[in-house]
Amino acid sequence: MEFQPGEEKGKDGRKIIKVKKEDLLSTLESLKKKGFNHLSLITGVDRKDYIEVVYHLHSFESNEYVVVKTVTYNSKVPSVTHLWKSADWDEREEYDLMGIEFEGHPDLRRLFLPQNWVGHPLRKDYNMKNVQYINMDEDGEDYATFDPGDGW
Amino acid sequence: MSEWVELNMGPQHPSTHGVLRLKIKVEGEIVREVEPVIGYLHRNAEKLCENTFFCDNLLYFDRMDYVGAPGMEVGYLEAAEKLLGVPPPERAIWIRTIMAELSRIASHLVWLGAYGLDLGMLTPFFYAFDLREKIMTIFVEASGSRLLTNYCSIGGVYQDFNEKIVQEIEDFINIAPSKIEELNSLFVKNDIFISRTKGIGYMSKEVAIDYGVTGPMLRASGVEYDVRKAEPYLAYSKVNFEIPVSSKGDNLARFLVRIEEMRQSVKIISQAIKKLPDGPFFNPKAKKSMMIRMRGEGEVYARTEASKGEFGVYIVGDGGVKPYRVRVRSPSLKNLSVLREIGKNVMIADLVAISGTTDLVFGEIDR
Amino acid sequence: MSLLSFTYGIFKVLGYDLATFVTFLIDSIVFLLVASVAVAGTIYFFRKYMARVQLRIGPNRVGKFGTLQLIADAFKLFGKESILPRLRDDLPYKVAPVLVFIGLLVAFSILPYGSLYYIGDIFISNSGVGIILLFAVLAIMPIGELLAGISSHNKYSLIGALRAVAKDISFEVPMMLSVLAIVVMASARTTNSLNISSVVTSELLPYGILEPLGLFVFFISMIARASYTPFDMGESESELVSGYSTEYTGMRFGLFYLGMFGTILLGSFIVSLFYLGGYNGPYSSDIGLIYLLIKAVIVVVISFTVWLAMPRIRIDKFVNFGWKYLLPISVINLVLAGFLTIYLGW
Repeated sequence: MEFQPGEEKGKDGRKIIKVKKEDLLSTLESLKKKGFNHLSLITGVDRKDYIEVVYHLHSFESNEYVVVKTVTYNSKVPSVTHLWKSADWDEREEYDLMGIEFEGHPDLRRLFLPQNWVGHPLRKDYNMKNVQYINMDEDGEDYATFDPGDGW
Repeated sequence: MSEWVELNMGPQHPSTHGVLRLKIKVEGEIVREVEPVIGYLHRNAEKLCENTFFCDNLLYFDRMDYVGAPGMEVGYLEAAEKLLGVPPPERAIWIRTIMAELSRIASHLVWLGAYGLDLGMLTPFFYAFDLREKIMTIFVEASGSRLLTNYCSIGGVYQDFNEKIVQEIEDFINIAPSKIEELNSLFVKNDIFISRTKGIGYMSKEVAIDYGVTGPMLRASGVEYDVRKAEPYLAYSKVNFEIPVSSKGDNLARFLVRIEEMRQSVKIISQAIKKLPDGPFFNPKAKKSMMIRMRGEGEVYARTEASKGEFGVYIVGDGGVKPYRVRVRSPSLKNLSVLREIGKNVMIADLVAISGTTDLVFGEIDR
Repeated sequence: MSLLSFTYGIFKVLGYDLATFVTFLIDSIVFLLVASVAVAGTIYFFRKYMARVQLRIGPNRVGKFGTLQLIADAFKLFGKESILPRLRDDLPYKVAPVLVFIGLLVAFSILPYGSLYYIGDIFISNSGVGIILLFAVLAIMPIGELLAGISSHNKYSLIGALRAVAKDISFEVPMMLSVLAIVVMASARTTNSLNISSVVTSELLPYGILEPLGLFVFFISMIARASYTPFDMGESESELVSGYSTEYTGMRFGLFYLGMFGTILLGSFIVSLFYLGGYNGPYSSDIGLIYLLIKAVIVVVISFTVWLAMPRIRIDKFVNFGWKYLLPISVINLVLAGFLTIYLGW
């Protein structure tokens, strides 16, 4: 399915705005100026050859809801932490589990998994059979050890 | 220059509900920096959901907010049923409304008891759990399970409300308001409690919105936003209730908003139990033999007002019997992230009091 | 006839030196046993009362009505492995719990307990400077807490110890001032105004009625001394895990635990002796002990209720409270006591 910029209505009746990656920041900025001050959710969807990034925005004043969608082929997307602080942990989570690199994020580390975890679990090509053990070092930080064997 | 001492609170610590770890830097008694470290309960439910049938995924949602499981089930089913095209019948909608509100009260009661413990009050914990036990008996009667009910299912609910359940709910409605008042007075009539909460942990409206805080925390900061009103789901458009809002934004405001929410929930339940219509409790399109053959395509986002805040479920289907991608917006995660902002430059004792009002449940944060 | 002279009378045949030694030895052992049983009884009573307040049943399995539960718990505590932190300072770490407990035991031995039918006056040491001795001994306990906190090599313990010391400083001065008011009032009635038993015997009208302010200050100080809610910042479990006793296990922790409950009992005795008339009453030469026990139990119940109902007060607010409210109140109390004594002759 080819990605076309434009607007459509989703199955749940929400307005979906599809933009190119280059126009993402400007679109979100103009939306924020329109009063969409609540960034509800950032989602990455692994479509195998590209990754879809979905932003759910809500406006408290006008009670409107809008979904902004973009795609990335090199799993890099500009960060929106300067627009909404709520994006901070969302982007870290998506980086952790989906492997999307948010350019310009001030502190892009893994949120849930240990920092040296191998792979991004929500990717479709992630091998779930590989086992990684989590341990704790002297300072209380977690680290993962990779089991190169066949796993389970 | 004074030296900052690094202190680890958690993951095994009496005040961090669950496995929260707070890396704090203290200067004497004053906390200068807080960094929550999470992930100790991470199971990656989103990945697990991708490998399970639509109907079975409900189990993972039970285990998110395990103190108020039916509320999570409702959130998932709002999205899944739209995707699969099997709307529940009218009676199931009302039953779910009742269960969701009961779970909201159950969750708030756990929070209330635990908040007392955070501040060093032992007694209210038992009073809160005494009332919660009444809800647990209703859950057991309805679903056979106390905690992880797995009561709702795609296309309806697992079994109909019988007379005994209705009777128990009516009993609960009768005793709940006075018990809630009793609990409330255990706290707010205590001067030390007021001094520990009033003006402590102030969160401005702007900060709350910026960090994506929702639920009682947001409403205590003066934003009148409740998904039950903003985008009514289930039967919420047909019942009368009010959204408690406070403009104070401190610990006490968050406390009072939650207490008022419990009162409103009792009000909703008492209306819903009167309006409970007759009819089927299950959509025949979703009968058991069809369950694992249901296919969904497209993408659906549904948001519900869980006890902690706006709970969103985003499901992408590719026409298979399993979802292609499931994404959960967990309210506690966002509510916790604001602790970096409001937990700064307070005393250690206040940090505990503030993190208590964020109402954290780690099944939901770590997923 | 006091317990001491009663025992001495039995052993008189051994000669003066030996008899004195044996008398004090036996009395001390008897006293130790009685004190331990009393503390254990307080804990049992507290647990039952606490359970009733909290909609629970409380201990009910071991023995009749769970009375032996405490013995089972004590065996469990004795049997527990004592885990020692690797980086501890060995001597202070081991001495600290003993200091806390010894201070308590010695304080118990200084109090007069009134008299009972045939035994007569019950006291171990009837010192002429009993009041000074009592509060000097009580001042040992904070040192134990401080040592425990510093020697554990744990940040939580350290913060807990610092809090405990800050707390102690802020209530000790008002407490001593309110005791001084007692001495002032007693000095008009007795020549030996530092001897506890003569102070109490002269207390025909309870000092709590004459000095309600002093009672208030002393009661709060007593709760703070025992360091339980609302003044348990030193070991606040939800903030500092267990404060200065975080790194202690087994019987060493048990000593802190017993010390805390023992302090409640001790404090109740002191409050009822100094402010509630103590063992005075009709026929007090026969049943004075019973009066004292009843009063002490009432004070214990009141302080338990405070424990159960109150949240923990923040340390800076308590320090403020101590210096800005308790201290002025106790000074006013002292002035009033002098006024009452000199001009009204009460």
